Amino acid sequence: MEPLIQMRNLEKVFEAGGSKFFVLRRITLDIQRGEFVTFMGPSGAGKSTLLSIIGMLDSAWNGEYYFLDQPVHKLNVKKRNELHKANIGFVFQSYHLIDNLTVFENLEIPLSYKNVPHKERVSLVCDILDRFNIVGKKDLFPNQLSGGQQQLVGVARAVIQNPKLILADEPTGNLHSAQGEEIMQLFKRLNEGGTTIIQVTHSERNATFGNRIIQLKDGWVVSEEKAATLSANPQANL
Amino acid sequence: MFAILQDVRFGLRMLMKHRLATLVSIVALALGIGANTAMFSLAEAFLIHPVPLENADRIIALVDSRPGQNIDMNAVAPATYFDWKQQAHSFDQFAAYAWREVNLTGDREPQKVQTFQVSANFFGMLGVQPELGRAFLSEEEVPGKEQEIILGHALWEQRYASDQHIVGKNIKVDGKAYTVVGVMAKGYDFPLPAEAWIPLALDVKANLSRNDRWLWVLGRLKPGASYTQAAAEMQGIAQRQSELYPDTNKGWQLRPMRLSDFATGSLTRDYTLLLLGAVGFVLLIACADVANVQFARMTGRANEFAVRRALGGSRWRILRQLLTESILLSLGGAALGLLIAQWALYLILSHMPADVARFIAGWKTISLDTNAFLFTLAIAFASGIISGIAPSLLTSRTSVSQSLQESGRGSVSRARGRLRGALVVAEISLALVLLVGAGLLVKNFRGLLNVNESYAPQTLLTINLMLHDTQYTTSAQRLAFHEQVVQRLSAVPGAQGVALVTHVPYSDGGGVNMDVFSIEGRPRVKRGELQSAIIETTTPSYFKIMNIALRSGRALTDTDGADSMPTTVISASLANRYFPGENPLGKRIRVGGEDSTRPWMTIVGVVNDVHYSWINKEDLPTIYGSFRQAPPYYTTIVLRTPGNPLQFVSAVRSQVAAIDPNLPLYNIKPMDRLITDSIIGIAYVAAMMAVLGVIALVLASVGVFGVMSYSVSERAHEIGIRMSLGAQTKDILRMVLRSGMTLTVLGLGIGLPIAFALARALAALLFGVEAADPFSFIGLPLLLAGVAALACYLPARRAARLDPLKALRYE
Repeated sequence: MEPLIQMRNLEKVFEAGGSKFFVLRRITLDIQRGEFVTFMGPSGAGKSTLLSIIGMLDSAWNGEYYFLDQPVHKLNVKKRNELHKANIGFVFQSYHLIDNLTVFENLEIPLSYKNVPHKERVSLVCDILDRFNIVGKKDLFPNQLSGGQQQLVGVARAVIQNPKLILADEPTGNLHSAQGEEIMQLFKRLNEGGTTIIQVTHSERNATFGNRIIQLKDGWVVSEEKAATLSANPQANL
Repeated sequence: MFAILQDVRFGLRMLMKHRLATLVSIVALALGIGANTAMFSLAEAFLIHPVPLENADRIIALVDSRPGQNIDMNAVAPATYFDWKQQAHSFDQFAAYAWREVNLTGDREPQKVQTFQVSANFFGMLGVQPELGRAFLSEEEVPGKEQEIILGHALWEQRYASDQHIVGKNIKVDGKAYTVVGVMAKGYDFPLPAEAWIPLALDVKANLSRNDRWLWVLGRLKPGASYTQAAAEMQGIAQRQSELYPDTNKGWQLRPMRLSDFATGSLTRDYTLLLLGAVGFVLLIACADVANVQFARMTGRANEFAVRRALGGSRWRILRQLLTESILLSLGGAALGLLIAQWALYLILSHMPADVARFIAGWKTISLDTNAFLFTLAIAFASGIISGIAPSLLTSRTSVSQSLQESGRGSVSRARGRLRGALVVAEISLALVLLVGAGLLVKNFRGLLNVNESYAPQTLLTINLMLHDTQYTTSAQRLAFHEQVVQRLSAVPGAQGVALVTHVPYSDGGGVNMDVFSIEGRPRVKRGELQSAIIETTTPSYFKIMNIALRSGRALTDTDGADSMPTTVISASLANRYFPGENPLGKRIRVGGEDSTRPWMTIVGVVNDVHYSWINKEDLPTIYGSFRQAPPYYTTIVLRTPGNPLQFVSAVRSQVAAIDPNLPLYNIKPMDRLITDSIIGIAYVAAMMAVLGVIALVLASVGVFGVMSYSVSERAHEIGIRMSLGAQTKDILRMVLRSGMTLTVLGLGIGLPIAFALARALAALLFGVEAADPFSFIGLPLLLAGVAALACYLPARRAARLDPLKALRYE
């Protein structure tokens, strides 16, 4: 089976004042379906930028990028958007729930952008509320939720459209450890259910939830390794 | 559909969340939309449906004009009318009418009535029929058989108590018995302001006349014939007439006009278009204000839009959401705007004197009708799109990944800053153009009021009367009547002087009748040239009452009677124009052209000019003849009073009634009221422009304030750094003020040349207005700059008071 993602010599450059600043250099990597990959590295290494490119939020780069065998580098904006809408869910460090929408409405947004009929949308949102055990929160606004609850909604929003790939950028960065653990367990279960997950994190502990770690530095992929086995004692890996 | 409803629901929620910004935007748009809706209602009445006739679009008015002499609409000669009837093929009918004022006497109080003599086919051609009775018959167009009358509905109601059996009855018109043959339907009063109609009976001599232009002609297009075709054909006929009859036709040009243009008149049309332009400017300024508010709101929501994009929302969906919010805002503005428009129309309608309104085509139809509602809806959508499109486009273009990585804080784009600055510059430019236009029109109005102050119009009473030729057949009868009037009114206790004159300045709504005159011993006037003047027949006392100073020679005296040499006094403008470098005293002139039979009058004096009409910038040549030498039928009584002229009305009425109880007096007004009624159109335009100017000033300053306030919050971090590096309060104040005033100066720089071009166009039209008016071009820009400086100062002061530590920590 072909990999979910294939990148060949992908580069991203900023030009300023006549100089070029490479954000990503000759990235070549494959990510298989069902993998749980972690990007790690120091600040400015290019992790989040790479995540944005994989998520098709950033189109200003060079090289080759295949997603589900489709050459993203050759697709026009419309087709990229369709590919993105159909297959990718995002989870952000700052949750990025829309302040002026209720939990229910926040969950509904990606479905409405996929033109899912209203009835079906309501049904899907109810299912996910139930699955994530947040039915009681459906009419609350984000500022009425704790950070953990907000991120739970963030993950639910990513999952609701049943994506093949979830991209998570520092998903537990703003949470305390217990809440972070809970979210990571959730990712683990989603991955075990078949969803490919790519996360960006600084946390060694979070990395252990995945099965591959890709280290970046100054825009280069500097190493790839299998993730360590999840310890029974969470503190041991923090 | 559901998705749009969802956008609407979310849009409303967002608007409710930012209540202050929403309120400011709605009020700004309401002012702009309300002004446009009110103006649309006026324009619809004046320009689109000024005449309530179903076939108005098939009716063409054919008028004469002399572009070189500022005569844009003149009646035509009867012979010309008959030529057209014979030669034109684009029309299936021609009809003609002429003004005639008559006195109704007999069974009730004497009453002066505005009638029109109309050809027998007049009503049929216009597609209207009397409600009671019949229209005129062709045999009634013959002199001697024309003693029929059709009453207007209002006259029938008021004078004849809606008598259902009025048809067939006789009423006294100018002392003669006329048979009522019909009553028109309610609301029909064309040609304005008709109260009744009598047949137009042209005698043979009148039929042949090519020089006396007093007939207004309308033609109805044949089915299939277009206005352009008919106009071209008529121009051809007019050209041939000009070649065949050069003495009478050269210099005149035929001007075919659609009935709506003809009824409205060029000036009303021009001023309506000017005001439409002005309200358009106000709406654009309001849109610029709202666009700036939207920029600020959308910048704060950059993160939300990035999330939406990350969740699969296309740019179009984001754009649609933003435009929905913008249109919701403008619909709110439209709702409030309708109320403002209703109020504005109430003010406009309620302040117009009824005796002026009846002359204005379309006035009765002014209202907020369905068309106005649809127009409001349309401009609300347009405003929503205009004010929302730029912020929405820029916002939807924001880099998603960048916005998301900035943890929810919107990024500040240079393009956005430049666009917001450009909007403020545009607002200032538009506001300046409006202010200058308003300033010039107000100056014009004040100039018209001031120019007449020399004769203290507030203590003059003016009254019209018209003697009818059945009772006052001879000059001696008319003279006896006038002498008695002067004698009796001079004896009224408190009256400080009385005079008679044909027309006082500003009578007839400012329209001026000028007649051709000849100068003895001068070669005949070249073909195509017009030597004309206002002809006044007056008592000697008129000059003193009107404070018209004698420049040379003598004024008219009581010795200038029927048996003495005919004399005249001329105005300085006539002397300067027709006797340049020579002494006019002793020269002889007479009213009429080469073939005139009127007597030669010797010029005995030259007097100062009086300003006659708001339409004319220049002084108009005037000839004053003695009332004793040519006692008129139509005259105006001018009474100087010590205080309120209206207190003398009953005394004047009883004194005139003592001479002739059947003579109606009309147009009874203090002279200052007559002047203000005459220039009320200018007053309306000036007042509306002034209001629009003030709105523009306020909106532009709100725009400057909004942009500077937002700029200060955007630059809080920078200001914090500057302060931590030693910047003083005055440095920060100066920095913010400089940035705001740069935009203001740019706006003024762009607006000034546009305003100057407008001023040049207006100065050519308006009395007392110069293109390089110092108040308009120095005072108003300074006022605008001052208000803008204040609008910059408030955010600047806030910036200067920022706590640098807080500003840096926040960042």
